[in-house]
Amino acid sequence: MAITEKNILTRLYVVAACLFLFAIAVGIKLVTIQLVHGDKYKEIAMQRTEKMFTIQPNRGNLYSDDGSLLATSVSRYTIRFDAVTVNGEAFESHVGPLSRALGDLLGKSSEHYENVLRKARANQNRYALIARNLDYSEYMQVKDFPLFREGPYKGGLIVEQKTVREHPLGKIAERSVGYERFDENGYATRVGLEGAFGDYLRGIEGKRLKQRIAKGQWKPIGLNNIVEPKDGYDVVSTIDINIQDIAHHALLGQLEKYKADHGCVIVMETATGEIKAISNLGRTSEGKYYERLNYAIGESHEPGSTFKLMSLVAALEDEVIDTSAVIDTEKGRWRIYDRIVRDSKHGGYGKISVSEAFEVSSNTAFAKIIHNSYKENPEAFVDRLMKMGLHQELGMPIKGEGKPVIRYPGDKGWSGISLAWMSHGYEVSLTPLQTLAFYNAIANNGELLRPRLIKEVKEGYKTIHKFDKEVLDPAICSQKTVDQVKQLLKNVVESERGTGHKLYSPNFSMAGKTGTAQKNYVTKDPDKLRYISTFAGYFPAENPKYSCIVVIHEPDKSVGYYGADVSGPVFKSVAQKIYANNPLIDEVESLQPATGDLETEYERYYAEARKEHNEIPNVKGMSGMDAVSILENLGLEVEVRGNGKVKKQSVPRGTDLKRVKKIVLHLS
Amino acid sequence: MRITAFLRNIKGDKAIWGVVALLALFSFLPVYSASSNLVYVVGTGTTMGHLVKHGLLLFLGFGIIYGIHRIPTHFFKGLSIIAMPVVLVLLIYTLAQGTTIDGANASRWIRLPLVGFTFQTSNLAAVVLMIYVARYLTKIKDRQISFKESILPLWVPVALVIALILPANFSTAAILFFMVLVLCFLGGYPLKYLFSMVAAGILALTLFVLTAKAAPDLFPNRVDTWISRVESFWDPADTEADYQIEKAKIAIASGGLVGNGAGKSVMKNFLPQSSSDFIYAIIIEEYGLIGGFALLFFYLLLLFRIVVVANSNQTIFGKLLVVGVGLPIVFQALINMAVAVELFPVTGQTLPLISSGGTSIWMTCLAIGIVLSASRNNGLPEKAREEMDESNPLEVLSGQL
Repeated sequence: MAITEKNILTRLYVVAACLFLFAIAVGIKLVTIQLVHGDKYKEIAMQRTEKMFTIQPNRGNLYSDDGSLLATSVSRYTIRFDAVTVNGEAFESHVGPLSRALGDLLGKSSEHYENVLRKARANQNRYALIARNLDYSEYMQVKDFPLFREGPYKGGLIVEQKTVREHPLGKIAERSVGYERFDENGYATRVGLEGAFGDYLRGIEGKRLKQRIAKGQWKPIGLNNIVEPKDGYDVVSTIDINIQDIAHHALLGQLEKYKADHGCVIVMETATGEIKAISNLGRTSEGKYYERLNYAIGESHEPGSTFKLMSLVAALEDEVIDTSAVIDTEKGRWRIYDRIVRDSKHGGYGKISVSEAFEVSSNTAFAKIIHNSYKENPEAFVDRLMKMGLHQELGMPIKGEGKPVIRYPGDKGWSGISLAWMSHGYEVSLTPLQTLAFYNAIANNGELLRPRLIKEVKEGYKTIHKFDKEVLDPAICSQKTVDQVKQLLKNVVESERGTGHKLYSPNFSMAGKTGTAQKNYVTKDPDKLRYISTFAGYFPAENPKYSCIVVIHEPDKSVGYYGADVSGPVFKSVAQKIYANNPLIDEVESLQPATGDLETEYERYYAEARKEHNEIPNVKGMSGMDAVSILENLGLEVEVRGNGKVKKQSVPRGTDLKRVKKIVLHLS
Repeated sequence: MRITAFLRNIKGDKAIWGVVALLALFSFLPVYSASSNLVYVVGTGTTMGHLVKHGLLLFLGFGIIYGIHRIPTHFFKGLSIIAMPVVLVLLIYTLAQGTTIDGANASRWIRLPLVGFTFQTSNLAAVVLMIYVARYLTKIKDRQISFKESILPLWVPVALVIALILPANFSTAAILFFMVLVLCFLGGYPLKYLFSMVAAGILALTLFVLTAKAAPDLFPNRVDTWISRVESFWDPADTEADYQIEKAKIAIASGGLVGNGAGKSVMKNFLPQSSSDFIYAIIIEEYGLIGGFALLFFYLLLLFRIVVVANSNQTIFGKLLVVGVGLPIVFQALINMAVAVELFPVTGQTLPLISSGGTSIWMTCLAIGIVLSASRNNGLPEKAREEMDESNPLEVLSGQL
């Protein structure tokens, strides 16, 4: 076939050209991937390999009004043990000491821990639980235990950190302190102060772009975060932990005594509207009580007799009645259309003045007053109530404020008996806080304040936002009306016949109104009938400092249900403890003068001690201790007789030091 | 000056030396970058360890080039005859190991004693077979030969080598067969016979596949892998087997024109074999289209120089030898790139001189050395001896050494 070199070369060129074409095809495909499909693949690359990570900011602290911590974020550690990574020799030599150390620190027996460790080892468990929820100092100790100090690979120590919200006060005010939780869809459940002031506390999430590397790990890209995380602000609430503590325990005791379903207490500072304590306790199926729901703010219910104050204020403002007017209570039963208004006292109170009707809380009297005064023009009564803001929510920043109900004539549910029933607190609905706000307005001479739970927002020591008192209505009624009802409220406690007289104490004054509202009365089944016992008021009766409301739902009827019996004692207890037994006041009084004396004495001693003496100084009137100190420093032998201050010195002042060796001091 | 003396001893085509040195130097970058994946995911060695190992392999590789290029070209004729039985034994030994990956035959390597490196025998076999074929074609250059006549000296060795490579490594076997055909075409082997060989090859492959399918347990094979790879290449829908190729395309797309920069590849963490089979995609991700085309250019330059060397060598054997061992390098490079850009189904072909493919670098170096040897002196002095009887290789060797 005679192959020649030329032949080979020609064919070689063909082959080389083919390869060249192949190379061109590769190049074209390369460009195609980049230009035609580039965006698609780049996007896939982004999705798969890059992710924006959020950096959780530190949540701010929640403080009480005096700076005590109500809620703070702390780290908790869970310790686990990888029994496989540890080599056998190390395990055997350390398991004993490690178990003992764990036992000493964590309370369980060392045998228990040895068991856990050996079992993990036998089962090749790489994730055996050792302890949960350790605090930082415990974690630091555990980290230094035998074996564990070898670290995660040789020692098998696995540490998981999580940030939890801690309430140093425990269950007290837990519900009011609240929480803020996010579910997987980002929907938040916001409860209490934590929820209400979440915007301040939360801080701003940081953003960090990370790139995926193998094994499901992500590494940060770039030097800086896309968004720097900003820690949340601290929030200083108005809650006073001492008052909160008092309120909590007073309520708890009473709930337990009356086996009530639930109850709440709110204590508010009259002049500022600051809520000093708010306690909500609900009963579990086992009969224990815990901060369950925010009844104080959320639960709107028929207030019962506490509403007589609102009715009376309305009637006095409209001047349709005078406190001295006399009403016939009709033997405690007054028929209006087909219904009967009853007084709690069987047989009624006879003919009594409006003042007396308020003190004894006569339903018939109030039904008659309001019904008769307004029956021609019911709108006027409702308008008056609305003018006092009773139909409006208080606009608390806390979520879930209950809606007040004040019906207007013509509304669904309005009827001929509405006026009579509204007069003593039915067919209307208010939350305990709304009722309290009204009572506080009376205590505050007509100025209606928005209750406040937050005082200040801070960043470190810097104030970001300060909250001052918010006036909802500078005068809900005239000063004259205020003075009249204040007297009546005082009488409820002070007057012998007053419903609240059981609370009376000669040591301090209180003013308030009892309420015993029926619940489930629609069924007409006496077994199902329940009561809501209320006491709302303020103290001291003159120059009120705090207003307070106590609402207890469904007390055990066999033990008692009247507002004065059930809720009144809580009120009294709170008032008494805040005012009569305030230990702070005593301390201040006893300490202050002593400090003054001490200082002058010290000054004299100091002056004498610094002087250079050639003669015996005058130490009369000095305390024995000081005198001895000065004289001995002069090189004298001092003999002391008696106690107290120097009365007599054996060597008079001015004697040359060199001639004296010993001095006798007589103290008294 | 020993270095200058050493440099003076470097002979042959300077352009090829240059291209090979450039590629080898460049190879450190992607290998170092991709090794982080090996270290982190596979958990073998350290990045520095991989770099040093690569450097060592390349250093020895250049030693091989240097040593081989100083051997006179015609020696390879005899050497190929001697090496052929050795290669066959090695291939049988390799296959007999029965190493499997997930039930598929993966007997491609033998472990070198002492050194600890693994050695892919098929690479050596390929070089030896190409020389052997070149020698045969030279031998018959002046004669009209019949098909029957060529079976025993040509096709039997070819068939044996390929058949021994095939079960474990289809792509290498196919590429080798194709290269043999190209060489035969260049060497003037009658085309009609070539076509019948192609037909015979396809028939043999079909038989092999069918046997493997019918009796999958008879011997470990990779037939299923081949089929799925080819199917996923043709299947327009995204199959699970497109995983690798998609990652490669993502890498190429994110590279852009100038790339993300050295070491900044992201996909290296997700691409299996990112330091060998898919290194081209990683190179584009890090160095962009510019880097990719530059690399392509250098391989084409190598092709050009091989053609030039073949052109200038005066002996038939020299020409065929250069083409026979030189073309596969370029061809393999193009195949590797074609896989990365989805122009070709996934194969296990490394990128010559760039991939950290271990000993495959040495076989590339062996081939380069042979090409350089042929470029040294145009084969003119040897032409005189061309007529020498080469039937006894030992005689040839002893006469020269």
